[in-house]
Amino acid sequence: MAERRWAKAPAAPDVTRVWDLGVRLFHWLLVAAVAIALVTGLSGPRNVLNIHLAAGAAIGGLVAFRILWGVMGSTYARFSSFPVQRAAIKADIAGLIAGSRPRYRGHNPLGSLMALALLAILTLSVMTGVITLGGVDKQGPLAFVTSYDAGKATQELHQAFAYGLLALICGHLLGVAYESHHGQPDLVRAMLTGQKAVSSADHPARPVKAKPLLAGLCVLLLLTGAVHQIVALSARPALGAPAGPLDPIYVEECGSCHMAYPPSLAPSARWTAILANLSDHFGEDASLKPNVVAEIRAYLTMNAAEKWDTRAAHEFQRSNPKDPLRLTATPFWLRMHRGIPESVFKSRAVGAKAACEKCHSDASTGRFDPQDIHIPERAYQ
Amino acid sequence: MRAMDRALIPIMILACALAPAAAGESPVLDFYASEAKASEPGFGGFSAERGERLFRTNFSTGKPDTPSCTTCHTTDPRKTGQTRAGKDIEPMAASASPKRYADQAKTEKWFGRNCNNVLGRDCTATEKGDFITFMLTQ
Repeated sequence: MAERRWAKAPAAPDVTRVWDLGVRLFHWLLVAAVAIALVTGLSGPRNVLNIHLAAGAAIGGLVAFRILWGVMGSTYARFSSFPVQRAAIKADIAGLIAGSRPRYRGHNPLGSLMALALLAILTLSVMTGVITLGGVDKQGPLAFVTSYDAGKATQELHQAFAYGLLALICGHLLGVAYESHHGQPDLVRAMLTGQKAVSSADHPARPVKAKPLLAGLCVLLLLTGAVHQIVALSARPALGAPAGPLDPIYVEECGSCHMAYPPSLAPSARWTAILANLSDHFGEDASLKPNVVAEIRAYLTMNAAEKWDTRAAHEFQRSNPKDPLRLTATPFWLRMHRGIPESVFKSRAVGAKAACEKCHSDASTGRFDPQDIHIPERAYQ
Repeated sequence: MRAMDRALIPIMILACALAPAAAGESPVLDFYASEAKASEPGFGGFSAERGERLFRTNFSTGKPDTPSCTTCHTTDPRKTGQTRAGKDIEPMAASASPKRYADQAKTEKWFGRNCNNVLGRDCTATEKGDFITFMLTQ
């Protein structure tokens, strides 16, 4: 066996460049970005959202480049070289069943479909991600037009696309593994070096020259335009997100014992109920003069959760029937804080579940951005 | 005449030195003193010692979560306390929080709430005065 391999070595088969640098860079950068996006999206803690967003932005940019490169790249980068005619696909499937597929120098028909499907699902993932970010987190370029309900519904799609993407990646890897064992052993290496062995049985495509300058110019224009737009749109006030400072009397009177919870964190009826019983306020006497109570009630009920569209304003409206007035007993609060040990809340650094501001640096705005979660180190000691 | 003058000078100096301690230092304390005089016939001045006892006693007669002052204020008046909702409380000792015990409406508000929380009743003027007297020595 070894002798035969030695004997074959000098007569190395002719190789030809199939994947240009643009395709190869795109492919491996995409692998990295998709891996990061999937890991941070499906299993990461919530405060890694920025990494997820960066990965998503990278995917968006890479896909945009690949689409441009699909019409301006070299021969096998071009979509026109993808053999996706019905007859070619049928022949490919028939060959797969028979055990002898027709050989293509670039993508084969099923591989082409996979590449296009991946590009499509990635585009949809990025788009649904931006809508989710706008509606649920009130961040990003669409925050100014996206309602919480729209964001929430889109988030379901975004998740479905993530699982769809995982399925397609599995299909892609299976396809590569199959081809590597059936006639194209250099398939993986080709995506690194760009070179593939030439076979007389290949289906070559009509050679076309790449237009890297034009593509580069397009990418540059697109990138600057997109960044400019995203920055400008993101600066607009988010739809239904409270802005501006809290009422000073409310902060003075209620903020001495606990953080002055933004009015958006409870519906109007709950505020009224809380203020109706200040002499037994969650186990303490927090009595105020009737005229002060009236003033605070007016402020809280006029700015209560019903008026806003943030995630907190929506989700905290559902109360816990067993403890209907307590924010930290609401189903949403419990769900979001699942897995945080009791000792963290009881630590001197945090003090209580009610001390939102100890971990959410933006708590006073009622936004509770995932990026603004920082559990104090000392809370774990 | 001369001898009297000589005797008067140190007395006047002494009087000037004592004046801020006796009166002007805490108008809130003066308020509680006049209240105590009016409502408690046997009132004979405030006591830091009684104030300390009030601060440290475990009453358990108020709300179950706040059996004593030290529940939230810690046993050291010079230390920062913490409310049950996790908010820091400036130290109670006047030396650590010089602005405390200057605003009568504020002291009344907090005595009103916290005596009810800890003792389950209003504090008397003497108790309030004792408490502040103790905190002024800390």
